[in-house]
Amino acid sequence: MNIFLYLDKGTWIHHLDPRTKMIGLMITFSVCLCFNHPLYIGAVSLGVIFIAISAKALLNFWRLRYLLTLLIVFSTLMWPFFAKGQTPLYAWGSFEVSQESLLYGIAMGLRLATFVAAGLIFLSTTKNEEITNGLIRMGLPYPVAFALSTALRLVPTFAGAGATIIQAQVSRGLDLESGSIFRRVGKFIPQAAPLFIYALRHTNLLAMALESKGFSPEAKRTLYYDPHMRSADYAVLALLLLVLTTLLYIRLGLHLGAVIPGRM
Amino acid sequence: MSVAISIEDLTYTYRQSDRPALQNIQGQIEDGTFVVVMGHGGAGKSTLCCALNGLVPRFFRGEYQGRVVVQGQEVARHKVAEMSRIVGLVLQDFEAQLFSTNVELEMAFGPENHCLPRSEIGRRIQRYLAYVGLERLRQREPASLSGGQKQRLAIGSVLALEPKVMVMDEPTTDLDPRGREGVLAVADSLREEGRMLLIVDHEPETAAAADQVWLMRDGRVVAQGPPTEIILDLPLLESCGIKALPIAELFQAMIWPGRALTVDGAITLIQMHNLAQRRELNFNAAPSGGAKGPLVLEAEGLGYIYPQYHVEALRGIDLGIREGEFIAILGQNGSGKTTLAKHFNGLLKPTSGRVLVRGRPTTEYSHRELARLVGYVFQNPDHQIFARTVREEVGFGLAMQGENPKTVEKRVAEALEVVGLAGYELKVPFTLTKGERQRVAVASVLAVQPQVIILDEPTTGLDYRHQRNTMELLTRLNKQGHTIIIITHSMWVAAEYAERTVVLKDGRILADGPTRAVFADEARLAEASLRPPSLVKLSNWLGTQALTVERMVQELQA
Repeated sequence: MNIFLYLDKGTWIHHLDPRTKMIGLMITFSVCLCFNHPLYIGAVSLGVIFIAISAKALLNFWRLRYLLTLLIVFSTLMWPFFAKGQTPLYAWGSFEVSQESLLYGIAMGLRLATFVAAGLIFLSTTKNEEITNGLIRMGLPYPVAFALSTALRLVPTFAGAGATIIQAQVSRGLDLESGSIFRRVGKFIPQAAPLFIYALRHTNLLAMALESKGFSPEAKRTLYYDPHMRSADYAVLALLLLVLTTLLYIRLGLHLGAVIPGRM
Repeated sequence: MSVAISIEDLTYTYRQSDRPALQNIQGQIEDGTFVVVMGHGGAGKSTLCCALNGLVPRFFRGEYQGRVVVQGQEVARHKVAEMSRIVGLVLQDFEAQLFSTNVELEMAFGPENHCLPRSEIGRRIQRYLAYVGLERLRQREPASLSGGQKQRLAIGSVLALEPKVMVMDEPTTDLDPRGREGVLAVADSLREEGRMLLIVDHEPETAAAADQVWLMRDGRVVAQGPPTEIILDLPLLESCGIKALPIAELFQAMIWPGRALTVDGAITLIQMHNLAQRRELNFNAAPSGGAKGPLVLEAEGLGYIYPQYHVEALRGIDLGIREGEFIAILGQNGSGKTTLAKHFNGLLKPTSGRVLVRGRPTTEYSHRELARLVGYVFQNPDHQIFARTVREEVGFGLAMQGENPKTVEKRVAEALEVVGLAGYELKVPFTLTKGERQRVAVASVLAVQPQVIILDEPTTGLDYRHQRNTMELLTRLNKQGHTIIIITHSMWVAAEYAERTVVLKDGRILADGPTRAVFADEARLAEASLRPPSLVKLSNWLGTQALTVERMVQELQA
């Protein structure tokens, strides 16, 4: 069971400071919000895909291919119900689909998928500890940052234990493949009870181990992976800011890139 | 030499308990000493470890009397984090101690907490990864390591703190024999550096290498002294429920002169006093255990690749198992033992080749049908225990088979009787001891009365008495006609109980045959990083058939 997204590839993006990546992620999110025309957003998506290729993160894109496809398809189908445009394509009774609303739907799908993609690149290239370090350097108190990263860390551990528990119960004859919804809920208890006990025991032992290794939440500690803002980091941030300002100018100054101008 | 640890009349009772976990413990240990603590389950060994670094009384609540002074610091007056600068503690449950994203950061965690400069942390990672033999795995994610590697990483991550006093609570449970030797090598280097080491362990071979042995029983230290004094006192060991050194048992049973703790020592003594004649080991004379029944499990060209990791775990396994056999599957950590066993009850489906149960491929059975024929007891009973009563827990498999309540009740009672838990029906399974929970897990599989019972590491985490009980239980079941397959890394368990042994290496069968023959080929075993127990080594040297002390005595006296 591996639901960990980090890919140990050592590309230039892996080597960026976690702060750069977090700020970069925010800027990328903002960039996605600049346009609602599918061609313009498509260009942004393409840019993000190029970044993903150079970060060697495509494996994770493949893992989440269903989610990404679903986002685009659903959005394209759903948005016409809510966004109204001027050029009608066809209509059934009071319901009509306009050219603009269809394009808007595609754009929104691409936007959501690009959000997810940018987040995926971040998680594929940044270790848990680096996220913690970055958050601390950005001023988050250590106990909070540590709690956050430990929670993230425990997810795969518990998922692994859960998988073993299911195997143990299936080999005792628990049939997970059939039965009504009520019978299936009943089958949940043999899986949940051991996992719950396991989680309690595990976190207690973890606390013991952490203290035994000298950890105390309020004390200062060295960070072995010391994040450093290098010239590459500044260059990346400057470039991203330049891109954002240019795109804002195109949308707000030149009034381009919007199918439905009133919307974001 | 100065005193590293001084324990003065320590008594400790956990808050929820009415019986003290530790009672009037006294003891002094000097720097550079290697101490091994032994005792039955629940004797207070883990509590003693926790009392050395302050988890008792700082983390656990309870009543604390007496004093523990480590390197001049009174433990109870300091926070656990402060004590970590002097005392390093490796907990028994090594899985729970690992939580970093890669091996290197796991090693760095302790030194980071001590605010050491980055260059020093780097040096320590380098040094102690080499100690535990994990240099090549620096960037690996701890969760992806094998059990033995995880255990070594847990040890390394505490060594990186460079504590003056190192305490390890059962650090070798998941290690193959080579890994155990590695841990003993660490003990030697710590001793040379003048640091103190205290290990809790069940194996008499570990104790033989120590400077001092402490025996614990019911919260008290009943004996302290050099290993020659303690581990040769067989009645004392017996009374504490500890496995005796088989070679020592042999020497006492044969009334041979001298004190032998190791195979080499025994061989020297035997040659010196001309105690026994070496003979030619003749496999044909080995009792075959009678004719076996029809084939019940078959693997034909079985290959398996884990889809998530693309790891080839099994490569072309051909194996036939007959009804009524008692088989041990041995192999290094990560050699494919568990993967193979999980194919027999259909938890895994072959990537290539096929697995037949009673001549029919596992892919054609439903899980429920297979659960009837092949029972599987997982290593950790806590992965399956969920019910409010022992009766409900043990009857779960039968209920899943749709048996009527009357039959369920009858079979549950029978199963509990067999595992020695009659009368436990209405107890809450979570509150039982580890050994009892293990037996509940075995009973829950027995109740379904499957022909084949597979057990993954049935003796890990149990003390000697419970190990013996479990194995004797399996022998009884085998005599009743059940086919028993155990996956184990406990070499003496395999040697004493299994009739046939299968050795796996890198997903292939390296050796398969009568246990005596497999254990005679020490070179072949070494290829799989295995090593026969000391008694078997001696038996190999002498050329005797015996794999147990009693048999050997009979054979030598005949």
